[in-house]
Amino acid sequence: MSLYLRNGKVGIYDLTKDDSTEQPLEEAVSWESASSDMIARRLADEYGQDTLVLATGLLTYSFVPAAAAGLIRGRLDADGRERIAPLLGFAGTELKLTGFDFVVLKGKAETPGYLWIRDGIIEFVRAPDMLKIDSWKRIDRIRADQGDNEIHVIANGPWGDKGLARSQLVVDYWGGEDKVGMGADLGRMGLAAIAFRGMGELDVAEPEGHFEDAILLMREHIERLGKNYGLASYAKVAEREDFRKIVHRHVACYGCPFPCRSFAKVEEDPKEFRLLSKEPGYLHFDIPALERAFDTGLDARSATKVLMNCAKAGAEPCTVLSAAATAATSESIDALISDIPRAINSTNIDNPPGNFERSFEDQKEYRRCLGLGLCPRYWSKVGFDTAAIGSFAEATVGRTLQ
Amino acid sequence: MKLTIDPLKCICCGLCESACSINRDSVLTPMTSSIILHIDDKANYFGLVLKTKAGGVVLAKPEGVTAAQQASGSGGPGAKPILLREACDLCGGKPKCVEACPVHCICTEG
Repeated sequence: MSLYLRNGKVGIYDLTKDDSTEQPLEEAVSWESASSDMIARRLADEYGQDTLVLATGLLTYSFVPAAAAGLIRGRLDADGRERIAPLLGFAGTELKLTGFDFVVLKGKAETPGYLWIRDGIIEFVRAPDMLKIDSWKRIDRIRADQGDNEIHVIANGPWGDKGLARSQLVVDYWGGEDKVGMGADLGRMGLAAIAFRGMGELDVAEPEGHFEDAILLMREHIERLGKNYGLASYAKVAEREDFRKIVHRHVACYGCPFPCRSFAKVEEDPKEFRLLSKEPGYLHFDIPALERAFDTGLDARSATKVLMNCAKAGAEPCTVLSAAATAATSESIDALISDIPRAINSTNIDNPPGNFERSFEDQKEYRRCLGLGLCPRYWSKVGFDTAAIGSFAEATVGRTLQ
Repeated sequence: MKLTIDPLKCICCGLCESACSINRDSVLTPMTSSIILHIDDKANYFGLVLKTKAGGVVLAKPEGVTAAQQASGSGGPGAKPILLREACDLCGGKPKCVEACPVHCICTEG
């Protein structure tokens, strides 16, 4: 029997031995065992709690609305709690199209570099000089070196290289998913970045039926949701006049009809649609960071620059903004971002609030939604109904789960 | 009938690519579609590129829509550029990308 919407393969890469192996993905027999969250936990139990697990959901890259999500699982925190960060944009879908449903990383690279995953191959590329450049330059360099601008990159930055608990991974330049300091995990493993390119394909149980059902569901959602205003459709903080004035366009993650990502231009006219500046601004979807920036007294333009510089440094912006005094300027905050020793001393501040995590009051529901490969922000807005999604998903994967 | 594209309406969701592949090969993949996203993500510059039978390659970029026999600068997956793909067959009269596009960026005309 075919594994629908799955490749049926887990890739395992031992960075210490520079060795790649794989194991088959067991077919899920229940909703619990189908959850990427649960499978990642099982893989961590099997390969060790020091591993990093990249995971895709059962429905990731399906036509179910906003089926964009994957996740990263890091080592347990000091209190033994799990650390999970969602993977959105096109990262989750692209990972699934590499031929792997899950990738387990263990050990530590002798020489720093990046992981290059594509076509069912996991390769480690030595690049020690990457630690001298910021996360954005790492992404640019990987795409240039591998000759493909469509490569998706989870990039670490200087904060993660140093193992700071308040680091933040960026996904294709933007921060907002990793609120658990996953950059420190990559830093510890000698990983400057993880790059992937998906050129595979996925079977669906009933392609026509799946397409028609999903589009019908999406149309029902769109009608109910009304006009989209990007991040302002999800967060009051983005309704501010000075923020609205610098918004350029709203951008969706894979398969999302109602995007929460708003790109703000600070280096050129927001109404400019030609390709002029290479780095004109920043893609906002980190709600708590934007709220904290405004609480600190920054205007929208300065807040955008601070978030951009945090992303480049691989620094979690709520931490940086909390460490800064109120009425700080974007310049003084930038100095703090680059002052890593001072930043380390500032980690007695509160843990950063979750971004996508706060979409659900019930964190079990959050994990259930994410574990299926669905964006928690979108699905909390349209109403996540496990039973309805469950029957929909069963039709898609062609079998009944317990 | 032909497809018309308004690139400024595009939200870069990628559903048109997978809708095309489900019709063409009954699988989900961005690699066989006749329509592909053109993205420069850091600059937030994006639109669509479509390979047609009659009009060659249609570049639907934020500055406007142009037709070109050459796909120079069309971007798209480096592993399979648009010129190596099959041209759009309009799904036999009911284009799936039009059905799937949530913002009516892709429409039919004629």
